[in-house]
Amino acid sequence: MKILAILRKELQTYFYSPAAYIVFGSFLLIVGYLFWIVLVSSKVANLEPLLYNAAFILLLASPVLTMRLVSEERRSNTIELLLTSPISPVEIVIGKFLACFLLYLILIGLTLQYPAILHAYAQNLDWGPIISGYIGLILLGAAFIAFGMFASSVTENQVISAMITFGGLLLFWIFGWAKLVLDNTLGEVMSRLSLFERYQEFLKGMVDSGNVVFFLIFTITWLFIATRVLESDRWR
Amino acid sequence: MIELQNVTKYYGNFRALDGISFSVAKGEVLGLLGPNGAGKTTAMRILTCFLPATSGRATVAGYDVFEDSIEVRRRLGYLPETPPLYPEMTVKSYLKFIADIREVPSSKQRARLDQVVVRTALGDHLDRVIGTLSKGFRQRVGLAQALLHDPEVLILDEPTVGLDPNQIIEIRGLIQDLAADHTIILSTHILPEVSMTCKRVVIINEGRIVAVDTVENLEGKGGQTTRYKIGLKPVGLDWKNAIEGVPGARIEHETVKGDLVHFDLCLPPEGGYEKVFQAVVAKGHVFVEITPARASLEEVFLRLTRSEENGASEKEVAA
Repeated sequence: MKILAILRKELQTYFYSPAAYIVFGSFLLIVGYLFWIVLVSSKVANLEPLLYNAAFILLLASPVLTMRLVSEERRSNTIELLLTSPISPVEIVIGKFLACFLLYLILIGLTLQYPAILHAYAQNLDWGPIISGYIGLILLGAAFIAFGMFASSVTENQVISAMITFGGLLLFWIFGWAKLVLDNTLGEVMSRLSLFERYQEFLKGMVDSGNVVFFLIFTITWLFIATRVLESDRWR
Repeated sequence: MIELQNVTKYYGNFRALDGISFSVAKGEVLGLLGPNGAGKTTAMRILTCFLPATSGRATVAGYDVFEDSIEVRRRLGYLPETPPLYPEMTVKSYLKFIADIREVPSSKQRARLDQVVVRTALGDHLDRVIGTLSKGFRQRVGLAQALLHDPEVLILDEPTVGLDPNQIIEIRGLIQDLAADHTIILSTHILPEVSMTCKRVVIINEGRIVAVDTVENLEGKGGQTTRYKIGLKPVGLDWKNAIEGVPGARIEHETVKGDLVHFDLCLPPEGGYEKVFQAVVAKGHVFVEITPARASLEEVFLRLTRSEENGASEKEVAA
């Protein structure tokens, strides 16, 4: 399985480089800090504020995880190895995506300690919004990583790749604000494109199939574009 | 086995290759020779399906590099100019990764890996991180990568560039070894490499083929003189007369060190070395060194790659 080979290689690279550890460390530190602040100040067993903030921190962190995916291959010319091997760009992109997504899942998984802590100390904790919130977080991560993959495929410079990812994701995050100004169809369309608006509904405990489909289409679209960018090397 | 027909490649408005055609027979080792920027790498990248040709057709083992690129890639081993390595991986995990993406069946991976490691003498370095390896070892890992799936065709882009003399000899030996059961295209701008490893040479300059021939023929075309490096222990001072007495023989670059004289003996194309040597020995002088210096491939190369633009000025110099 060539996809598995790419996946394994990417995971190895993540764990050999300090970037993944730094992202993990700082993310967990910030989330732990927030958990403490929120819990002590509100004295309510509610995970919503934490998940709300975690999503934004992940928006900041994911460019660091995705920036080198393809850019580094381009910079070090290993892209020449991949594209002259009997492996298709689709397999390359899927393998890399899965590796990064797996890392993301581990990162998210490590925050499950907080609902567990709440569960241990609070009576009748409402698990519904927590579960739907985590589903939202997982879908959001897939979208972040897919967009980062696209940004990484267009440049050999990791910094530029991270900046495109960060800028693009932030834009998709705040698209919904257009509704405040535009009271028409455009405003409505833009807010429907907003990752943040969609994610918020998950936090309220709603797993709307429309929102799920939106995140999946968002993810697949950017992965598809990344694939086309890689393929275009061969016919440009 | 490999065929290029009228291949042209533009990068924007820059014409990197201009109607290149040549073919390589099965089992042949072809040298692609040219100054830096001549289009060697571009030609190789087209053959390895990394870049498309702007026009023209290239096939490997009967498969078109554009239409059936995946079939071509299955049959190719490619060592780009900078070996495509992941510095954070160990040699072993890197080669395992290559075996996977090059479709080596997992039942055969062990055996292939062992063979390649023996061939490239990487045995003691399998657990080392690639980033800590010296350039020579990286080059060997690069070669191992190209060999792992036992391809019919090997394309090696300047395989010895940047190596020290010992490493160059090792890599050349390895290539000669591989020549027995592979079809190889090798690019270089180092001439001795070609005469040592290749039967046939394609010389390209500024995207155009300026010569396709065997090494022997090219050397024959080379200069108008035959050259020998001579070390002589003369008795008396008349050794020069003995040499210059033979028509056409000239002495160049004469140096004296102790009681030895070193010089280049230049003879006309029809030869005549027997007469010179006999005349010298007859006078009682002693030869300590006679080395035929037919480095004339250099001269061919320079002539062919310079002739177009400097044609006129060079004739003046010659006159």
